[in-house]
Amino acid sequence: MLSLKDVWAHYGSVAAVKGISVEVAEAEIVTLIGSNGAGKTTTMRTICGLHKPTKGEILFEGKRINGLDPEKINALGIAMVPEGRHVFPQLTVMENLEMGAYLRKDAAGIRRDLEEMFTHFPILKERHKQLAGTMSGGQQQMVAMARALMSGPKVLLLDEPSLGLSPLMTQQIAKIIKKLNEIGRTIVLVEQNARLAFLLAKRAYVMEIGRISMSGLTVDLKDDPKVRETYLGV
Amino acid sequence: MDSATLLQTFANSIVAGSIYAVIAVGLAMAFGVMKMANFAHGEFFMVGAYTVYVCYGLMGWPFPVAVLMAIPVVALLGVATERFIFRPTRENVLAGFMATAGLALILQVLIGQIWGVGLMRSVPTPYMGALDLGGVRIGWQRVLVIPSAIAMLFALWYFLYHAKAGKALRACAQDPETARLQGININRMTMLAMAISGALAGLAGALMAPIHPVTPYMGHGIILTAFIVVVMGGMESIAGAILAAVLLGFIHTFVTTLSDAVTAQMVGVACMAVVLIVRPQGLLGRVKA
Ligand SMILES: Nc1ncnc2c1ncn2[C@@H]1O[C@H](COP(=O)(O)OP(=O)(O)OP(=O)(O)O)[C@@H](O)[C@H]1O
Ligand SMILES: [Mg+2]
Repeated sequence: MLSLKDVWAHYGSVAAVKGISVEVAEAEIVTLIGSNGAGKTTTMRTICGLHKPTKGEILFEGKRINGLDPEKINALGIAMVPEGRHVFPQLTVMENLEMGAYLRKDAAGIRRDLEEMFTHFPILKERHKQLAGTMSGGQQQMVAMARALMSGPKVLLLDEPSLGLSPLMTQQIAKIIKKLNEIGRTIVLVEQNARLAFLLAKRAYVMEIGRISMSGLTVDLKDDPKVRETYLGV
Repeated sequence: MDSATLLQTFANSIVAGSIYAVIAVGLAMAFGVMKMANFAHGEFFMVGAYTVYVCYGLMGWPFPVAVLMAIPVVALLGVATERFIFRPTRENVLAGFMATAGLALILQVLIGQIWGVGLMRSVPTPYMGALDLGGVRIGWQRVLVIPSAIAMLFALWYFLYHAKAGKALRACAQDPETARLQGININRMTMLAMAISGALAGLAGALMAPIHPVTPYMGHGIILTAFIVVVMGGMESIAGAILAAVLLGFIHTFVTTLSDAVTAQMVGVACMAVVLIVRPQGLLGRVKA
């Protein structure tokens, strides 16, 4: 449903993503793991249009989307939860969710999705009037995820959802990601926490300094000696 | 100062504060969305006043219609400024500063060329008579400014906090990249911010036309005051701008009455300096994380 073909991305003259190819099928969780500065965030930003690729092609449902503005890409059905969450701090939780549904016109559908969000994230219902910036890191992650889901996306991009969260909160977020996938969401998950990523995803891509060094089923990769040593720490 | 003068000065302070608030709020909002200051904002105010001069003073339209005409005229000017100055210079703050400062001069010269320099354009008072407050008389024309300003500020507040586009405008000011990820078109939002900012400055100028000397340079004094208000209030804070505007309205009016306008301007700047020392983020400004 989403495929990257030999995608390159630069900052100035420095290449951060060097010709990667990634396939994402409908209703699966694919994870992209890699250490600091491997180019994961750049890849995600390139998919959602915040960063323009210098070479290569990004296809979504068979259409080229590289070069489109982020507004257009969101309208086509790709929603991103950025690294570091980026909730709108001075907007209430409810307003944050409304912004997620910014392009939608179907009031009934929006109301239904809002209810769905409140079942996934009950705390958000309780705190709907609170300014998002005053919430804890884990709660902000929930706001950011619910906001992205409010656009009714076909693909959800999650950039390091566990970043800076307590183990307990990470567990909770992981549970929700799993549940979202079980009800049919397509998810691209970027993680430094490979343990968590392998638990959730069926397939994985390993990224090293801008390139995909390995890819395959997580059940196979987790037994690979190099992956075990570098990313799983065993 | 006897009690009559005190009451008179108090009333004048509120009128001045109301106008400062309307002007400064527009400046703060545009700054919040674009992170760029519009140095031609004072000239937007001036063009608003000239709209009334032309429509009401010269063409004899009803005063309220002339005032409302300032909305499309100056909003359009704001939109054009966004499109042709701020958008091309978005990556370059200095260029944006130079270009709007240049626009201010162009507007002054242009208006001067068409309607003359030197001579003050006189706009006849549309509402004669005065409100009598126990011996103190305040012209209706001045009184009118207060509810009009409150109505404008209320309308702006309602828009920003209850309309979807208003919420999107706030989202853009807080995190433009993330706003784009939600499908919000930044260019359209900046244009909207400049249209509203222009409309507010234009309305302020339009209301002041009968009680303020109408000249091509009338924006000069007001822009300095507006910047003091915005800095004092906390750059992007609209509530802060309103609070600072009222404070400065009192400071300016009282010091002008007791001393003179130059001293008043100096005291205003000094107050801003004190606020910045005690609270660098401004009265209601937020510290950036
Ligand atoms: N705005 C930028 N300007 C210049 N270089 C950048 C910029 N952002 C990232 N880079 C560089 O691009 C490379 C890839 O960065 P990226 O943020 O994509 O990595 P990442 O895999 O997401 O890392 P992390 O796990 O730390 O989030 C790094 O070498 C980084 O220094
Ligand atoms: Mg990253």
